[in-house]
Amino acid sequence: MVGWEVPIGAAIAFSFGAIGTGWAQSRIGAAGAGAIAEKPETAGTIIILEAIPETLVILGFVVAAMIILMVK
Amino acid sequence: MDWGYINARMRGMKSRLLDHHTLDNLVLQPDLDSLENELEKTPYREDLIEARGRYSGMPAIEHALRANFVRTFRKILDFSKEKEAALYISIFLHRWDIQNIKTVLRGKNIHITNEEILECIVPAGELDEVTLTELVRQPDMKAVIDLLATWSIPYAKPLTTAFPEFAKSGDLGMLECALDQYYYEDALLAVKGTSRNNAMIRDILSLEIDVVNIKTALRMIRDGVAPEEAGKFLLPGGRDLDAKKLDRLLALHTIEDALAMLAATRYRFLTGTPETALRAQKISVIEKQLERYLVQEGVRSFVGDPLSVASLIGYFWAKYNEITNIRVISRCKTADFSIENLREELVYV
Repeated sequence: MVGWEVPIGAAIAFSFGAIGTGWAQSRIGAAGAGAIAEKPETAGTIIILEAIPETLVILGFVVAAMIILMVK
Repeated sequence: MDWGYINARMRGMKSRLLDHHTLDNLVLQPDLDSLENELEKTPYREDLIEARGRYSGMPAIEHALRANFVRTFRKILDFSKEKEAALYISIFLHRWDIQNIKTVLRGKNIHITNEEILECIVPAGELDEVTLTELVRQPDMKAVIDLLATWSIPYAKPLTTAFPEFAKSGDLGMLECALDQYYYEDALLAVKGTSRNNAMIRDILSLEIDVVNIKTALRMIRDGVAPEEAGKFLLPGGRDLDAKKLDRLLALHTIEDALAMLAATRYRFLTGTPETALRAQKISVIEKQLERYLVQEGVRSFVGDPLSVASLIGYFWAKYNEITNIRVISRCKTADFSIENLREELVYV
């Protein structure tokens, strides 16, 4: 029987990843918008840079999934 | 306050400033026409084409540079609407207001035509072209100051206070010094907080104050002005030179002694001033070295923290230096200056 700790643990793992991603993307997004405004040709690079922090939330999701699936 | 956005834009704009190679290419142009053609290959193209519609030769270049400068700083002001950034930018832009008011007062003092005064105005500050044109249309200096007071423009206050003394002595320096003192006091007061950005702005302002004070002190020493009289023209708030040091500097009798005293400060590079310039009492050589130092220190800010006002300070000085360099090149082309001498006049950063 799984207790309440498991979903809470999974939620914490996912939410911190999401918050980290949001914070990083906001900073990269602001600087990226500035860079694109001055040099539109950098748009491709900026979009890739903007996507990099997504790995954080994916990692959080994987850890959350592992907690739910593996903790019995 | 999101400095990331402003920093990215500043760096993007800096990448469009003329590099060493392009500047050198401008220096190598044989005459003004070829210089104009070469400038058309740079970001000044748009402004130059517009200016060429109304002027030709040197005035066209002057107008293009002025229009580019004004447009650039209006653009920065437009995208930096947040309170903190707007405050720092306004500190930099107010100096153009001061410069423009000085230009109007100088013009009125020597009774040149309104058109000639307007030619020398750079409306990059908060006083726009319409306001400045109205100031220029006033019949005399008193009317200019009264109009500033009527519009509740703060620069009227130091001018009104200093005007009776000017009326007695006829020395325009009194009014100009009052304006400078007001500008630096006001700017230092605006950044008196303890934040890192405030400290950076304070640092560059106090460096400028030192430079202005050294220039003033050297001129006073050269002209043999009494220290008590000369002290009135100095600005408080310097970085290395406080009131006591400045008093000691003004008490000296020769420029050589003054430079020897400055050897103990960060301005020790002035001791390398050529003997011939010192013997001829040529302050301009020393002033040039000080200006070069100020520009280099300002542009060096660019390597500071990207999430601060550093890139803004760096860009301001880099752009100012670029415009100055192009003006020097174009003026030297009309004066038939040698390439070597011209290169010496430029400040590469």
